[in-house]
Amino acid sequence: MLSQSILENKSKNNKKNSHFKQKFKEWFEVLPFIGLGLVLLSVFVVYPQIKNIYMAFTNYNIMPGQPSEFVGFANFMRAFHSEKFWLAFRNTVLYGVVTVPGQMAIGLIVAVLINNVIKGKNLYKVMIYIPVITSWIVVSLIFKYLFTDGKEGLINYALLKLHLISNPISWLQNTWTANFVIWVLGIWKGIGWVMVIYLAALQGIPNELYEAAEVDGANPVQTFFKIIIPLIKPTTFFILINLIIGAFGVFIQVMMITNGAPLGTTDVLLNYMYNRAFSDFEFGYASAISVIIGIVIMAITLLQKRLLKYDEFNY
Amino acid sequence: MSKKVISVLVAAILALTFVMAGCSSNSGTKKTTDNSSVNDTQKVEPVTIEFWHTFSDTEDKILNEQIIPDFEQKYPNIKVKATRMPYDGLKQQVISAVAGNATPDVMRMDIIWVPEFAKLGALQPVDNLEGFDAIKEKAFKGPMETNYFNGHYYGIPQDTNTKIAIYNKTLLQQAGLTEPPKTFDELVAAAEKIKGKDRWGIAISGTGPWGIAPYFLSLGGKVTDDKYTKATGYLNSPESVAALQKLIDLYNEKLIGPCILGGQPDTWGGMKGNNYLMIDDGPWFYSIQGDAAKQSTVPALFPQGPGGSISVVGGEDLVLFKTTKHPKEAWIFMQYMFSETPQKLLAQQAGLIPTNMDVANSSDVSGDPIISLYVQQLKTAWPRTPSPNWGKIDETLNQAFEKVFRGKATPQQALDEAAKQIDEFLQNN
Repeated sequence: MLSQSILENKSKNNKKNSHFKQKFKEWFEVLPFIGLGLVLLSVFVVYPQIKNIYMAFTNYNIMPGQPSEFVGFANFMRAFHSEKFWLAFRNTVLYGVVTVPGQMAIGLIVAVLINNVIKGKNLYKVMIYIPVITSWIVVSLIFKYLFTDGKEGLINYALLKLHLISNPISWLQNTWTANFVIWVLGIWKGIGWVMVIYLAALQGIPNELYEAAEVDGANPVQTFFKIIIPLIKPTTFFILINLIIGAFGVFIQVMMITNGAPLGTTDVLLNYMYNRAFSDFEFGYASAISVIIGIVIMAITLLQKRLLKYDEFNY
Repeated sequence: MSKKVISVLVAAILALTFVMAGCSSNSGTKKTTDNSSVNDTQKVEPVTIEFWHTFSDTEDKILNEQIIPDFEQKYPNIKVKATRMPYDGLKQQVISAVAGNATPDVMRMDIIWVPEFAKLGALQPVDNLEGFDAIKEKAFKGPMETNYFNGHYYGIPQDTNTKIAIYNKTLLQQAGLTEPPKTFDELVAAAEKIKGKDRWGIAISGTGPWGIAPYFLSLGGKVTDDKYTKATGYLNSPESVAALQKLIDLYNEKLIGPCILGGQPDTWGGMKGNNYLMIDDGPWFYSIQGDAAKQSTVPALFPQGPGGSISVVGGEDLVLFKTTKHPKEAWIFMQYMFSETPQKLLAQQAGLIPTNMDVANSSDVSGDPIISLYVQQLKTAWPRTPSPNWGKIDETLNQAFEKVFRGKATPQQALDEAAKQIDEFLQNN
C-alpha cells in the first residue's frame, strides 16, 4: 500500500516536471512499437467507424465513385417507425435478459464445482470450454438439425420416446420455441468462457478465508453466498459487461437457424441490419441501425458503471 | 475517475467495432477502370476472363470438360477461368465484389437479379454491342426480357426453366390412377384418396412466389396487371382471394403437406419416402437425382385450374460487369455461350432448357420427353414481375402468404395489404 502511493507520487512529480520536448521524445521512442498497431487500428477500426456514421446520414450508393445523397436523420426516423426494427430490438434485449443470467449462473456453479474437484481439473475445464472455441456456424447447423421439426428431429425423437410429448414439436416454426432454441445455444456456448474467468477469480481467493469460515462453522452453501459471491464481485461485473455487449452481437446463430422466421418474429438487430444491407442494398439505413446499436451499447456500459459501483477488494 | 471513464469509453468503442464489422465491408477505393481497351485489337498475348456461375455438378463437368475446351480451341487468344459459386449468400458476395472492384468479367446470374444490379450501376448494357441484335432475334422472348431495365438490355439469356408437376408413381397407383391428374379437381380427389398419417397429396416448397405461385395462379390468382404497373385490383381481386382461400382450405384439410411452412419432410425427401403424391420442380430434379428418380416418378404439366396451367419462369442470364478490363473478349465468350454447341451440350446432357430457339427446336433437343414437357409448360409460365425491386416484392408476397397459412390474417386482409405495398415498389422502379 505504502510503496504504491510513493510510486504514484513520483509519477505525478515526473509529469509536472516534464517539458514538451521530452514528451515528444518519449513519443518518438515508442512510436515504432505502437506504430503498426496504430495504423491497423486506424484503417480497420477508426476509419470504418467514421465512414459508417457518415453513411448513416446518406442514401448510400455502394458503387465506387457514385454520389450518395445526404438525407439527414431520415434513416433513423425510418428505424424508429419500423415495426420490424422494434421486433428485432425486443428479441435482442430478450436474448440478453435470458442468456446473460443463464450463462453466469451455470458458469459460476460449474466453476465452483471444478474448483473443488481434486483430480482431472483440466479435463473438465477443456470439456466445458470446447463449445466456446467451436465455430458458430457449425454448432448453429448442429442445433438446427437437433431441433428439426417432425418426428425425425433428434430432440423430438427423444422426447417422443420418453413419452414427454405426444406430438412432435415444430421447434423452428413458432416464435417462442424458435427463440428458445436460439437461447439454449447461446447459453450452452457461453458457459465455458464464464467458467474460465470465474475459475481464475476463485483461485485468487486465499485459502485462509475458507479455513476461517470452516472453523466458524459455515456450511458449503453459506461459504458460497457469504465468501465466494462477495469476493468475486469485480469479476462478476467484468463478465456482466462483456456478456451484455456480446448479447447485442447475437447474429450468426439467428441467421443460420431461423433467419428471422416465422415472419420476422425471431429476428435480432444484427440480422435485420445485415439483411437490409446485403439483401435490399439499403446501406444507409443499415448503417443507421448499426449506429443505434452502438449508442445503446455505449449507454448500457456507462450506466452499468454508474449503477454497479464496486470496491476494489484488498485481502 | 477520469481514467476509468476513458477505459470504459475505449472498451465501448472496441465493442462498437465488433458490432459494426458487419457493415463496414465497403472498401474506400474509388478507382475508375479504363474501358478504352475495347479498341486495342492488336493484343496477341492470351487474355484471361473470369466467369462466375452456379452450374450444378453435372453442368459444371460439362462446362469444364467440353464447353470451355471447345471455346478455347475456337478462340485461342482467350482463356476462361470459370469459378463455381455457391448459390447461398451469392448475392452478398456479388455486392461485396461490386463495392470492392473485384467483380468477374462475366457472370451467369439468376434472372431476377439482373434489373436490381443494373439499377445499382454494376452492369454494362450490351444492346449496343456488335451481334446483340442477332441474339435477340434468336432468343425466346420471355427470357430475353428479363435482361431489360430502363431502356437497355443488360445481359443475354443463358438458359431458362420452369417447374412442372412431378408425381410419385407408388402413390399414384394407390389413388387408383394410371396417369397424372389433368385438372386441379382431379388432383384434389386423388389427394383425398391417399390422405393419411404422414401422407399428403400436394407438397408446396414454400410460401414465397417461386414455391406457391404455380398453385395460386393456376387457381385463378393474379399478382399484377399485364404491364406490371400495379397490384391493387389484381393481387387482391376476388379471384385471387378465392384462389388463396382454396389453398388454405386444402392445407387445413391436411391435403397440402407441412413443407409449405418449412416443416418436414421436404419435397424431395417426401417424394423419396412416399409421403407426397405430387411435388413440383425444375429440370434439375432429374439431372441431379438421375435415373432412379425417373423410375419412381411421373412428370406432367401442372393440373388445370380456373386460371389455366400456369407455372413460373426461372433461369439464368449472362451479364457483363462494368468493371471488366476485357469487355471485348468477355462479350465474345457471352455470344459463344448462346451459340449452338454449348446450349445443345447443356440441354442434352444436363436437361437445361436452351434459350436459343434454333437449338430448342432442333430435333435432337425437342425429342427428349422431359425437356419437351418443360418447353410446353414454359409457354404459359409466369415471368416474375421484372423490377429492380423484385427482392422486396418477393418478400412482401412471401410474408402475405405466410401470414395467411399461419392463421395470422385472412386472405383478403393479407392480400389487400401486400397489394398496397407492391404498388409502391412498382412506382419506385
